[in-house]
Amino acid sequence: MTEPKLSIVDLTKRYAAGLEPAVDRLNMEVEEGHLVALLGPSGCGKTTTLRMVAGLMDPTAGSIVVDGKEITHTPVNKRGMGMVFQSYALFPHMNVEQNVAFGLEMRQTPKSEQKARVAAALDMVQLGHLGKRQTKELSGGQQQRIALARALVVEPTLLLLDEPLSNLDAKLRETMRTEIRSIQQRTRATTLFVTHDQDEALDMADRIAVMNGGLIEQFGSPTDVYERPRTHFVANFIGQANFLTARVGAETGGASLAGESYYKVDVEGLGQFGAVGAAGLSGSTHEMVIRPHRLTVALRPGADQTPVAGTIERVSYTGDALAVAVRVGDQQLQAQLLTSSGDLPRTGDAAYLSWAPEDAYLLPATTSAERLAA
Amino acid sequence: MSDVRIFKPRFNPAKPAFGLLVFLLYLFLLAPLLIVCVVSFASNQYLSFPPEGLTLKWYEMLPQESTFMEGMKVSLIVAVIVTLIVLALGVPAALALDRFDFKAKAAVQSFFLSPLLIPSIVLALGMVLLFGPLGLTNTYAGIIIGHVAITIPFVIRTTLMSLATTDTSCEAAARVLGADSWTVFRRVTLPIIQPGVIAGGVIAFIVSFDEAVISLFVAESGLPTLPVQVLRYVENSADAAVAALSVILILISLAVVVVVERVMGLRKALR
Amino acid sequence: MTLLQTPIAAEKRTDRDEGLLEKATERRNRRTYLALLLPGLLGLLVSFVFPLAYMIRMSFNKGAPDGVIVETFTLDTYIQPLTDPYYWRVTLDTFQMGVTVGILCVLVSYPVALFLARSTSKYRGLLIAIAIAPLLTSAVVRTYGWMVILGTNGLINSSLEGLGLIDTPLKLTNNMTGVTIGLVEIFMPYAILAMISGFGRLSPQLEEAAGSLGASKFKVFTRVTLPLSLPGLLTAFLLVFVLAISTFITPRLLGGGSVQVLATEIYDQTTGLLNWPFAAALSVILLVLFGLIIAVYQRLTKKIGG
Ligand SMILES: Nc1ncnc2c1ncn2[C@@H]1O[C@H](COP(=O)(O)OP(=O)(O)OP(=O)(O)O)[C@@H](O)[C@H]1O
Ligand SMILES: [Mg+2]
Repeated sequence: MTEPKLSIVDLTKRYAAGLEPAVDRLNMEVEEGHLVALLGPSGCGKTTTLRMVAGLMDPTAGSIVVDGKEITHTPVNKRGMGMVFQSYALFPHMNVEQNVAFGLEMRQTPKSEQKARVAAALDMVQLGHLGKRQTKELSGGQQQRIALARALVVEPTLLLLDEPLSNLDAKLRETMRTEIRSIQQRTRATTLFVTHDQDEALDMADRIAVMNGGLIEQFGSPTDVYERPRTHFVANFIGQANFLTARVGAETGGASLAGESYYKVDVEGLGQFGAVGAAGLSGSTHEMVIRPHRLTVALRPGADQTPVAGTIERVSYTGDALAVAVRVGDQQLQAQLLTSSGDLPRTGDAAYLSWAPEDAYLLPATTSAERLAA
Repeated sequence: MSDVRIFKPRFNPAKPAFGLLVFLLYLFLLAPLLIVCVVSFASNQYLSFPPEGLTLKWYEMLPQESTFMEGMKVSLIVAVIVTLIVLALGVPAALALDRFDFKAKAAVQSFFLSPLLIPSIVLALGMVLLFGPLGLTNTYAGIIIGHVAITIPFVIRTTLMSLATTDTSCEAAARVLGADSWTVFRRVTLPIIQPGVIAGGVIAFIVSFDEAVISLFVAESGLPTLPVQVLRYVENSADAAVAALSVILILISLAVVVVVERVMGLRKALR
Repeated sequence: MTLLQTPIAAEKRTDRDEGLLEKATERRNRRTYLALLLPGLLGLLVSFVFPLAYMIRMSFNKGAPDGVIVETFTLDTYIQPLTDPYYWRVTLDTFQMGVTVGILCVLVSYPVALFLARSTSKYRGLLIAIAIAPLLTSAVVRTYGWMVILGTNGLINSSLEGLGLIDTPLKLTNNMTGVTIGLVEIFMPYAILAMISGFGRLSPQLEEAAGSLGASKFKVFTRVTLPLSLPGLLTAFLLVFVLAISTFITPRLLGGGSVQVLATEIYDQTTGLLNWPFAAALSVILLVLFGLIIAVYQRLTKKIGG
């Protein structure tokens, strides 16, 4: 395995003695050229982590290693990073070109080279024609691109983005999402990207670090964190999820493509089902996750599988899709289906739910609550 | 009865009456300044009304009045040096007060603003008492040190106000891009807070330039500033030469007012 | 699975390590802000703290003829002003002047401030600037202007004589009347500024709302406008009061030597009588008076703000 571009070891930040740490013994390795999203709810320590990597903040403990060199105590202005701030932080008293040239100036790049590189960077974000504009005469999206050009023109060791899209309207956000991703892939800049928007993270990132309360709950590819969440928090935060408590019985033999085992599980009040999970779960109780759109809703009992019978309590129609809440025993399960021209289910109808064993995933033993208590 | 009133908006005499009252009060507020301007162009030999004719002779006399010219020189030198000193002292202090967190912060800030809470006559007496034995009375150094106390609060206040409204991420961005602390200050912070610094600077200038009480106590006999000369002149003679001089002083103040209003707003700067 | 790392197994670090790191950054921070504050603090120490401290110490010395100062520690300098009826008179006059000027100033400033607070004109900014601009003009010049207006041959007396309304000029300068008129005008910008800031909650909509509920113009004023502007009026009054009791230039020039207040008394004690310790004691008395009012003022503004 090649050496990671960035490794973060036991990184901890405590803002004041006696306070809970904002970032708690965080570990992460980032491969060269990857875009890693730091994803989590407000206040979970994303910005704090990013600022420590940038050097804007001293960690309380732990270390940061880039290209095999420890930079934990390197001053911020010697780290050669590129950073884009939520507010863009363009210098208001400089025009677009001067903004982009600032980092090169600090590096004492020759004037002629500066000119060429600034022009190239502006072309890359498709704003070559706006070089002489004042920054306040730009739209939000344009300011955003200038900020990106300013960060990239210095060919940074790492590109750090702190919620760069949160100040844009929904439409523009999607455009910029693709644009940032394609620029990042073209420049192969190793990137840390802070966001609290799961769609953004799933769409753009090579790896996602799901953070909660200063801890990384899971670090993995978008499909990993979605399909195989490690904790209740991850399953709940990314996408929607139904949780059922399952007593795991014997392995039923065979293994899924990802090397997981099949189990027979017993859900109290509902019956026995098939499920997948890591090896060695037999004999204990685990949470089972099923995504709403993986539930099949039938209005008549089918023949193929053992369906769960319930009553439809709420139907919400959004055009393309139909969200249905089904009361089963003392639980409510959320299901989602695409609409068709046929009959629509109505509140009060009987419904029969079924799912494939591959879509019922058993969470590994530790729940975030247990881990936090430990 | 009342519904009739709603549909027929009548002429309301209270409105123009209130307008007239406000106009008269403005007139009262500006009266001394306006009258000084009028008198400065009147040809009456001694102060009296109505003006007998128009003349520029009082203005022509000014350059020959050596006391005024001396005073003007002293006041200008003092005000310029005081401005430079308080900017050099006040801007970094404001920076520390806004950008850093420390325990005594609120106390330090109040301390920097507190000279405005002390009557200038009391300060002036303290200064003459202290400066006398040190040989600082009747020297530039004495007046300048005296004026530093009363001008620093203005610089601190306007600079703080500018700092409070700026986005610190600009400074962070510059640091990430490779700028050291001094470069960040020179290339980013200072240009951004420039309005507050300029406003503080020109206010400090005019406060020092117009200051009379401290100058009177500290340097009346040896190095009278312009306001001290005017004070003496007004006490002793009644001709209109001093009116012409006053108009010049008013114009200088007006220039300061315009600058402050343009860069950050007079009301904000003086609050 | 491609799970790289999760921090589950990380063991607890010793607090000592964290403490050390924290200290190091704290120290660096402290060096920076101390370096930034120090010049300013030193400047104020020399130009502000030392003179005041020295003056307070001086007030416990004894004055001897010809400006000689006897180093001692006595309360004599305080006993004299606190027992001599003359100084009681001066202190009372000062206090009375402060109250009169404060009330009159608030009365004449209120309409202007009300007008500015309610105005929606595009010239509002300009009008505000004009109202407070006199703050930045020389007090000497403005007092001189009042001497021209109020003097024996001044604007008012000349006009009235010209109209045949009076034979002998009214005595408007060299007395408390002149000083009061001058001070009221000179402190108007302060009062207006304090009022506009204090009127925060007063909005035209509120008055309109009251009007639409059927209140008469007079009712709207007494029941809505006035109560809401009371805090602003009060702060303006206290501000003008403290400024008035400590001002020197105007009582000196417009009073022409016949108006004695604490400030002019302090000046006379120094330049005329060279009784430095006594002047220092008077200053301390003024300072205490001043401090009491400021304390009241700050309590009130805090209450109003909170
Ligand atoms: N300067 C500070 N002093 C004390 N605590 C702080 C400070 N800055 C942040 N915190 C705390 O540290 C925790 C993490 O903050 P951080 O800004 O890293 O969150 P975040 O994940 O970026 O949140 P958001 O999505 O809202 O930006 C929060 O609980 C916050 O209250
Ligand atoms: Mg954040």
